[in-house]
Amino acid sequence: MPEFLQPTSLTEAMELLREKQDVRFLAGGTDLIILLRNRTVDCRYLMDIKRIPELSIFQYTPEGLTIGAAVTCNRILHADFFRQEHELLQDAARTLANSLLRNRATLIGNICNASPGGDMIPACLVLGASVHTCSPGGERVIPLSAFFTGVKKHVLRPDELAVKVTFPNKPGRGVYLKKRRIRGHDLTQVGLAGFYGEDRSLAFAAASVGPTPVLIDGIGSFSPEELPGAKEEILAKVAARARPISDVRSSKEYRLAMLRYFTGLAVDAFAAGEKLEVLS
Amino acid sequence: MKRSIHVTVNGIAYDAMCSENATLITLLREELELTGTKEGCGAGECGACTVIFNGDAVNACMVMAMEAEGAEIYTIESEAENGELSDLQKSFLEHNAFQCGFCTPGMIMSARALLNKNPHPTKEEIIEAMEGNLCRCTGYETILAAVQAIAGERDGE
Repeated sequence: MPEFLQPTSLTEAMELLREKQDVRFLAGGTDLIILLRNRTVDCRYLMDIKRIPELSIFQYTPEGLTIGAAVTCNRILHADFFRQEHELLQDAARTLANSLLRNRATLIGNICNASPGGDMIPACLVLGASVHTCSPGGERVIPLSAFFTGVKKHVLRPDELAVKVTFPNKPGRGVYLKKRRIRGHDLTQVGLAGFYGEDRSLAFAAASVGPTPVLIDGIGSFSPEELPGAKEEILAKVAARARPISDVRSSKEYRLAMLRYFTGLAVDAFAAGEKLEVLS
Repeated sequence: MKRSIHVTVNGIAYDAMCSENATLITLLREELELTGTKEGCGAGECGACTVIFNGDAVNACMVMAMEAEGAEIYTIESEAENGELSDLQKSFLEHNAFQCGFCTPGMIMSARALLNKNPHPTKEEIIEAMEGNLCRCTGYETILAAVQAIAGERDGE
């Protein structure tokens, strides 16, 4: 069982990473603590990153929105300073587990867990998020669209700490729709984020319809008046990017049907200029 | 390996020794002997172990004990004072809001955390705050009524 590390600065964290091998990072712990308890994963060191002040950053800068690795999903959900384009992060946070877990779970943790059904990930993908990392070897910025490599797999090296997620300024509005069997605890059967930019570009991202969450861009640009006529074309483009499987939660046919249904709802809402209530 | 830890629980400062692999529920129950907090699933699913951790309701099984260094924690033992039950505890009794009672400490701590931040929650806000607390025997209507009664009482204050 691991030894507990609790650095209080990024510099100290990097020094520890230089010295020690086999370190796992503890953010909210809502996935990792279960895995450690079940001995599904083991590690020599567990590094609690929440006492590193830089990782609690949560604010707008001239470049856009920054959310640090220690920021919980409930802080995102209850933030009162979000611009319209980033409100779908709150739609997504509202669907994540329950309030007790959201008080611990972090956005970065949801991303780094790299689940195909990660609730926060589609919203981050359509918003053009980037993950900023820090390791003894240096820093890098990774577009989220290039972050996932497989089920629960990503491009980070073992000594690479994700420190924050940034979102560019991108005027527009989005929505996150999630299908699950019961309210409160259930994992995503299908998750769909849609974003309609003020520049009339349309993008979608989906969860639980493939081995990784997938960004579906290149859909095209449409005026609100053009959207109803283009709906079938858009549905086909979105469905073509899905590779669902059948499992205990859904059949692949159901997932594909729900993906098309959600996409249609999002297109209708964007055409009408209406706010779409989150379904569950 | 055991390490020393300093926490404030229910207003009392403790210096304790605890395994660095333990979770907060183990620290509370086995080191501090505060056994009012119950362990149900141990995996963040049921909410039986809910405590207030630096102002937020959390599952004590989902927090490593060492994360609690310097933390301010409230458990079900903080509710009754001088042998008198708290308003929430009395309301749970009056509404028959439990049968086996195993979920009740967690239910009450979730409700308390909500009421501390929002003394007049709506029904939907109560449901959202307590959706992580499962009850296998009572059903939820009486629990909701018990919390609503307190939120409603406070409307007149």
